[in-house]
Parts: sequence; C-alpha cells; structure tokens
Amino acid sequence: MDATTGVDAQQREREITVTRLFDAPRQLVFQAWTEPDRVARWLGPPGFVIAYCTMDVRPGGAFRLCLRSPSGAEYWRQGVYREVVAPERLVYTFVWSDAAGKPHYETLVTVTFDERGDKTELTLHQSIFKSVAARDEHQGDWSKELQRFAEYLANN
Amino acid sequence: MSPDRLSITFSALSDPTRRAILARLTSGEVSVTELAEPFKMSLPAVCKHLKVLEQAGLITRGREAQWRPCQLEAGPLKDAADWLEHYRRFWEQSFDRLEDYLGEVQGKAKRDGRDDGR
Repeated sequence: MDATTGVDAQQREREITVTRLFDAPRQLVFQAWTEPDRVARWLGPPGFVIAYCTMDVRPGGAFRLCLRSPSGAEYWRQGVYREVVAPERLVYTFVWSDAAGKPHYETLVTVTFDERGDKTELTLHQSIFKSVAARDEHQGDWSKELQRFAEYLANN
Repeated sequence: MSPDRLSITFSALSDPTRRAILARLTSGEVSVTELAEPFKMSLPAVCKHLKVLEQAGLITRGREAQWRPCQLEAGPLKDAADWLEHYRRFWEQSFDRLEDYLGEVQGKAKRDGRDDGR
C-alpha cells in the first residue's frame, strides 16, 4: 500500500513533492495539520506568525488563514477540503487571496501521512498549474522548459 | 510579483506555440516575419500570440512600426521558474518548524505522563 503513488505521471510533472519523516505518531502529525492552534506553531517560514486562521476540516469545509511576515506584510490563503481521511490523507485546494477574500491562483494540495514504525512519513504534493492546465488542456512537461529558460536567463 | 501577475504569466506559458516563440527569442531579437516562418502560421495568428506574450510582460517589441522586433523579457519568466522553488522552500521551512514543534509537544507529553513506554 503506497498512498503516494496515487498521482498520475502527467500530473506529477506539474507538481512539487516534499517528503519528510517525522519522529512522531501519525495521529499527532495529522492533528498538527488540522487544528488551528497547532498549525499556528509551524506553518510558514521562520519568523512568520499566523494572524488569522479558521479551519472547517471536513469535505466541502473551508479554511482561511493569514500569514504575517516579520516586516508586517500579510499573505492570505484560503481553500476548501476535498478529502479528509483522518489520520491518513488530506486533499484541499489552496488559493492565494487578498484581504477581501478575492481568490487568485489555485493549486491543489494532497498530504498523505504514512506510518513508518512509530514515525510518520509525510508526503506533500502541490499541483501548481492545475487551473491553467484544466482550462487550456495543454499537456507537456513545460516546467522543464521553464527551467531551461531560467538557466538561459541566469547566464545572460 | 503578485499572484495575479503570476497567473497571467502561467496562462501565457500554457500554450506550446508561445513557448516555442519564447525559445526562439532566447537566441536574440527576431522580427515577426521570421518568427512566423517555422510555425507555418499566418502573420495575424502569430501576432495574436505575441500580443498575449506582450501583455504578460514576457516580451517587449520595438517601436518602429514596420519591423517591431520582439525581445525576451527576463523578469516574469524568472519569477515563474522561481515560483516552484518558492513553494518548495515554503514547505521545507514549515516542515523544519513542524519537526521542532512535534519534538516539543512530545517532550511535554512525556514529562506529563512519565510511564509512556516506546
């Protein structure tokens, strides 16, 4: 059983994947993702604080949070839970939004929590180009092309 | 770059012809006619793509009405490529903090309930 393979190959090319083995039981790691008080303790780069956070963790439920940078800039995120399988799996949309709640670019986040003895392997997939890809139905591994452009630009 | 701006960039990049045009421009300034050649496309069709790229800030075009050479613009492309890495970094940094947090709460849990064997 490997929950992390449930992503088709084409989709994977538009995703980032981050995996980490945590020295904690799965239930606790799952709680750390789904309880606002706990989320506030770790989400975001060092020095960022959660200035606002509501989470309705059930399929169709919404979350909204505000990350405040050390310099005071505020970054709003919001989304809707698509799948909630405690303590194994979370799927939710992740949208940048402004303070008025106007949504910007949409991504889809899938988090799987796998037991590894008394540890927990967490795998996060974030599909970045989902809405654009769905709209235009263009295939192809253009994140690699993008990387080549970036290399070209770095050298010029 | 604002998310709005980024979404415009990604939208412009989602088309293979436009990406091919950008790839062509990495070798330097090119006129519209030259650009149209390899794609076997009508000039108006190419112009339509160029307009999208121009609005996304991915290219700039010369002022001279007749030949208006196209040039690649570094900024938005770089931002788009960086975006993947920004997200990765966001999660990596968050995971570092999560690791600390989990260690901390478990330390507390152990102090509170001394007899939890592992």
